[in-house]
Amino acid sequence: MLLSVEDVRAGYGPIEILQGVSLALAAGQIGGVIGPNGAGKSTLLKTIFGYLRPTAGRVRLDGRAIGGLRPDQTMRTGLAYVAQDGGLFPDMTVHDNLVVGGHTLPGRRAVRAAADEVLARFPLFGDRRRQLAGSLSGGEQRLLALARALMTRPRVLLLDEPSAALAPRYIDRVYETVAELHRGGLALLIVEQNVEAILAVAHLVFVLDLGRNAFGGTPADLRGSDRIRRLYLGEDAA
Amino acid sequence: MLDTLLEFAIQGVVLGGLYALFAVGLSLIFGVLDVINVAHGEFFAVGGYLAVGAIVLLHLPPGVGIVGAALGAFLLGVAVYPVLIAPLKRRLGRRPAGPLYLVLTLGLSTFLQSSLLATAGGDYLQVPPYVRGILDLGVTAVSYQRLLVLGVAMVLLLGLFVFLRLHRLGLAVRAVAQNPDAAQAMGINLPRIFALTLGLGAALAGVGGALMAPLFNVYPAVGFPLTIKAFAITILGGMGNLAGALLASFVISLAEAFSVMLIPSQWQNLIAFVVMIVVLLIRPQGLLGRALSR
Repeated sequence: MLLSVEDVRAGYGPIEILQGVSLALAAGQIGGVIGPNGAGKSTLLKTIFGYLRPTAGRVRLDGRAIGGLRPDQTMRTGLAYVAQDGGLFPDMTVHDNLVVGGHTLPGRRAVRAAADEVLARFPLFGDRRRQLAGSLSGGEQRLLALARALMTRPRVLLLDEPSAALAPRYIDRVYETVAELHRGGLALLIVEQNVEAILAVAHLVFVLDLGRNAFGGTPADLRGSDRIRRLYLGEDAA
Repeated sequence: MLDTLLEFAIQGVVLGGLYALFAVGLSLIFGVLDVINVAHGEFFAVGGYLAVGAIVLLHLPPGVGIVGAALGAFLLGVAVYPVLIAPLKRRLGRRPAGPLYLVLTLGLSTFLQSSLLATAGGDYLQVPPYVRGILDLGVTAVSYQRLLVLGVAMVLLLGLFVFLRLHRLGLAVRAVAQNPDAAQAMGINLPRIFALTLGLGAALAGVGGALMAPLFNVYPAVGFPLTIKAFAITILGGMGNLAGALLASFVISLAEAFSVMLIPSQWQNLIAFVVMIVVLLIRPQGLLGRALSR
């Protein structure tokens, strides 16, 4: 497995949010994490990426234990993380956001090449390089955050609710990009409230509830489970 | 009348150079670390003492003394992060710091002043001018030493602004100021950037101390009044806003210079604080607001 989370516990101070969560993702797979509010979905991504230190359990990337590394160290192992709000630098230009995204690349030439490559994939930023990131629309900011995360060619991309508060056309654009990235061989772990959007692209779905695994399987398995559909998707059992 | 105005304007601009060197560093530290560094004046004093040591005691050229002061203050600033700020940050975790960093740097200020007093004594030390002579501008005359302060300050500040806009590490400093969590996700090592920022701010103050050594006497508390004035300047410019600090430095220095025409000179030092109080009451975000940005 490329990314594996084994019985991880984590939280904020004395409050334990994740109470033994496990999941695994193979290279090139898209994993979706869904569940009710407060289930620990965002906490899971933050723990994998290093913003929170697991108090128990293991996080591994390609067999290497990465649990407990700082985010800047985790990032260097091949993970990238896009926060729910995009995490842009609003008073910096589009171009400077991309350059900071390439902070770990060796030298200016490598940064320029990576920025050109990313801009080719996101042509809407091509002639807006000098625009301040904070002046972009919400959808454009989310796309710029995605673009910036690709500067270092990660092996696994962690996305926290990429469609939250976006207009439908931007949700489509975000998920078109997700599909493109998958075709390029990238593995993605996506926390999502928009269940239909994630079920349409994911190979595996993990349902969390109260910090524990409630389900793990393919979207077809999930659709086939009356109990899960009733409890977590808000659908009536057929 | 015009001659008098020009004379005060020139004096104000020269003084503004020193204020800017000091206040921009203070504002940089606040913008990146969210720490109001009460010990900033002691970096200035350390710069002055290093200049005395290099130029008076070791008879080294002034240039070496100034560079030595910059390096010494930089290293001292860099050391402050792992020794003082980081341990408190770790202990606090996600809890708000409140006034703790202010109290911590106040402790550092007292420690450094006492250390300087214990090692160098409380005497007022003097350094001979680095450049001699006076430039006669017709309406007024300015010593080359004062022009040196202004020139070096402007070159260093220009260098800082270019560094923050164009250099990889400068962009990282700005990124950390705007969104430290996101900066970390880009692979930026926060402790390193925090230490670098403290070092840069301290180095600017240290150079200021070395440049002013021939004009002021050097003594352990020489930087403290400047720290207090720099608070007024950074509040006027907008806390954490470097361009604002630069602008406010000249606003305050010119206001002080021109005030002599209207009020007795012993009231001159109150100008900055009256401006600070008025700004806090009317426009607490300062002239340009808070942004370590464009």
